[in-house]
Amino acid sequence: MTALPEVRTADQDAPRSLAARPAGADRTFRGIARGGGTGVLLIMTLVGGFLLYQGYRALETRGFEFVTTEAWDPNSGEFGIAAVMAGTFFIALTAITIAIPLSIGTALYISEYAPPGIQRSLIALVDLMAAIPSVVYGLWGLFLLQPVILPLSQWIATYFGWIPILSVSDFDPQDPLASPTVFTSSTFIAGIVVALMISPIASSIMREVFSQAPLGEREGALALGSTRWGMIRAVVFPFGMGGMIGGMMLGLGRALGETIAVYLIISPVFVIQPRVLEKGANSISALIALRYSEASAFEMSALMAAGLALFLVTLVVNFGASMVIARSRSGAGAEG
Amino acid sequence: MTHRTKLRRGIRSLVGVAAAALLVFGTLNTGAAAPAAAIGATHQPISGIGSSWSANALQQWIRNVGNNYGWTITYDDRGSTAGRQGFADGSYDFAVSEIPWELKDSDIVDPRPARGFAYMPIVAGGTAIMYNLVVGGSRVTNLRLSGETLTKIFTGVVTTWNDPAIAADNPSIALPAIPIIPVVRSDGSGTTAQFTSWMRKQYPALYTEFCARVGKANCGITSNFPFVQGSAFIAQNGSNGVAGYVAQEQYVGAITYVEYSYALNSGMPVAKLLNAADYYTEPTAQNVAVSLLGAQINQDAASPDYLTQDLTNVYNNADPRTYPMSSYSYMIIPTRVEGRFTEDKGLTLGDFSQYFLCEGQQQAEVLGYSPLPINLAAAGLDQVQRIPGADPTGKDITACNNPTFSPDGTNRLANEAPFPSECDKRGATQCADGTGGAKGSTNASTAGDATAAAAGQADAAASPSAAAPGAETALDPNAKPIVVNAVPTAIDPIRRLTAPSVVATVLALLLLAGLVVPPWWAKRRRAQAAGADAGAATGAAAEPVERPSRTPAEALRNVTARVRSPFTRRESKSDASGDHTP
Repeated sequence: MTALPEVRTADQDAPRSLAARPAGADRTFRGIARGGGTGVLLIMTLVGGFLLYQGYRALETRGFEFVTTEAWDPNSGEFGIAAVMAGTFFIALTAITIAIPLSIGTALYISEYAPPGIQRSLIALVDLMAAIPSVVYGLWGLFLLQPVILPLSQWIATYFGWIPILSVSDFDPQDPLASPTVFTSSTFIAGIVVALMISPIASSIMREVFSQAPLGEREGALALGSTRWGMIRAVVFPFGMGGMIGGMMLGLGRALGETIAVYLIISPVFVIQPRVLEKGANSISALIALRYSEASAFEMSALMAAGLALFLVTLVVNFGASMVIARSRSGAGAEG
Repeated sequence: MTHRTKLRRGIRSLVGVAAAALLVFGTLNTGAAAPAAAIGATHQPISGIGSSWSANALQQWIRNVGNNYGWTITYDDRGSTAGRQGFADGSYDFAVSEIPWELKDSDIVDPRPARGFAYMPIVAGGTAIMYNLVVGGSRVTNLRLSGETLTKIFTGVVTTWNDPAIAADNPSIALPAIPIIPVVRSDGSGTTAQFTSWMRKQYPALYTEFCARVGKANCGITSNFPFVQGSAFIAQNGSNGVAGYVAQEQYVGAITYVEYSYALNSGMPVAKLLNAADYYTEPTAQNVAVSLLGAQINQDAASPDYLTQDLTNVYNNADPRTYPMSSYSYMIIPTRVEGRFTEDKGLTLGDFSQYFLCEGQQQAEVLGYSPLPINLAAAGLDQVQRIPGADPTGKDITACNNPTFSPDGTNRLANEAPFPSECDKRGATQCADGTGGAKGSTNASTAGDATAAAAGQADAAASPSAAAPGAETALDPNAKPIVVNAVPTAIDPIRRLTAPSVVATVLALLLLAGLVVPPWWAKRRRAQAAGADAGAATGAAAEPVERPSRTPAEALRNVTARVRSPFTRRESKSDASGDHTP
């Protein structure tokens, strides 16, 4: 480094190679970082490979029918994931629909409206929500939420029953003796519980991007006479759009895989049942949790194949989320 | 000369000691209680999985031994199917299941595992029909159902509470026109298996029609209740799941099948079921005890299904005090040291089993079960001896204080069971007394009903007579005590020659033979040679020259050649038997 550059003639004039020789600490750090990155990829591949290896027997037996059959009876050879995959999406989409306003509102309040004094404790509180074990959410949903949410389900079914997905078969609003049990164990109730579980992660990502909205643009908007809500609409939302979408999709990824809470609440059905308020729902992870401890070798293979399908779907959703975040203005700087 | 003798002596004494050791091991092993090749040294923690039907009893026993003796036992009530699977793949030390492997008439192939196992009855009980029905603001606690109506409810034929079939059983209840919500198990369950077994045997036409409707190809006994599309059925997971669902105040109209104890614990009523003698009965401990006198137990100790039950005669038992859906629950115990199961774990499992087969049975009634009769308790205690590592001392069965035991060997609990009151007879105006965990009568005020329900468990615990209110007055004066066929069955001691002990004894004899025979044979040959060579004087000179030339190594080769086969076998043997030495 201290040596003077050589004197070169014109024909020798070529760019000098700038080979930086990293110090030991750099090399070690780079090694650890590389190792970590490769390790994660390797583990992901191994998980996928393991599921494929374990589930191959079932996939081979059923072929394409595995994706189209609405039944789950591997011991008799009649099984497929059409119903459970659809059920997984119904629960996840219900959860996302409830979680979107909840988490956007939480994130906006914390980052824009909350007095600075309580901001920190609110953040801690939201993070604490994420720390509650899912079995606690599940038991709460089963024993406390479910009985009190039934009148709401009934109200929705009564006034919005004309929307196909909100209709409930065998429910007559005029019948005073109608049993509320038709609203129990439904996609809707499982969705509410899952929504509460995914809101913390979604809202903390959103809060992060909202708080990154450039101060200059905020002040500019305010200086041009906008109200605080106007400033949020003109500056914070356009800036944080990528983060909002990404946060929701990460939440969706988690909702797809949520197990115990769903397992406790639903009454499993094996048909595509899109009426979210009505009893009967299912999801792949709940099916695995329900059946794996009693599964025969072949049924286990079928469960692993179902797990593989869920793994691939979750992978796609999460990759989609990170792409959306990375392409957005807020995410580009943070390398989402 | 000296080298050779020393070496020979050394080797001989070594072989002798080894033979003696093997002989001692072999004979002691057979002489003492055979399976207890080694009694476990410490009470290692054990874990079990299986039935939620019998979980309430098991959890209580586990708490008792945990508090009193400090043994750590964990039990996971994930259902009988999960129990059999968890035992088969070796991830649990014991399992509890209502039904055995390879159940006759089952809808699936359920092969027995490779792991060594035996069945041991743990407790009796009744699968109760728990329901949630409110009429005019007060809870109905005296519902009665005939078997056919019950089957129709759970096969989706009868769908509303005011159906004429239900009304015929309940002349004095103003049944509401609300839908019936049958709550079934979503997991693989022994309760479901017992219930479908009963439906299939008693009402084959209804059950076959049901199978066809749900598209079930094999209409056998099933552990997974078929999913009924587009019906009011709700599936919940575990006995706690179904019982918890029905017990929710809002879910009026729900009905489920679950062990009696769950109804007691949740303060809910159970339906009285019509028996073969035209009486509606409740699964009290006494009724269950009487019913199970009809159970046929597999008495063939060599059968893999030894001690399992055939309940056909229980369903149709003609005694008026019987509850048709009574059954035994079984523990599946390991009979070999395999996988993660060790003798130390065997000690815990053995002692725990002896506890619940003996003292534990006293609590069965309080918990909502029925104690085992003496023949099954004795057979169970004998099965305990098959657990490797279990304490072979055993229990004095007469000291167990089991309520079913009597000096003459009959089932005391069944003998003393009260006869049902006249109002429980088919057709008569029905009794108003409460059932299950809801002891309040149906006509009582709501407040009284609630307190009675809260005190339900305490009531049931108070005394046997409290379980059947009004039983004394209702007792038929002409009724004679029924002679009970629960005679103690002599069960062959499970004391047999174990493979290691036989091998050890044979080896020891071989070694001893190897020790004694060659010198004797050599002596004889030498004597013969001496006799033959008596005339040849030159031979005497040649021998002394030859002898010193022999090296110790040669001598050794010579000796080992003679005893080679016992030697090599002994080595392989000591490896194999190493596990079994205490």
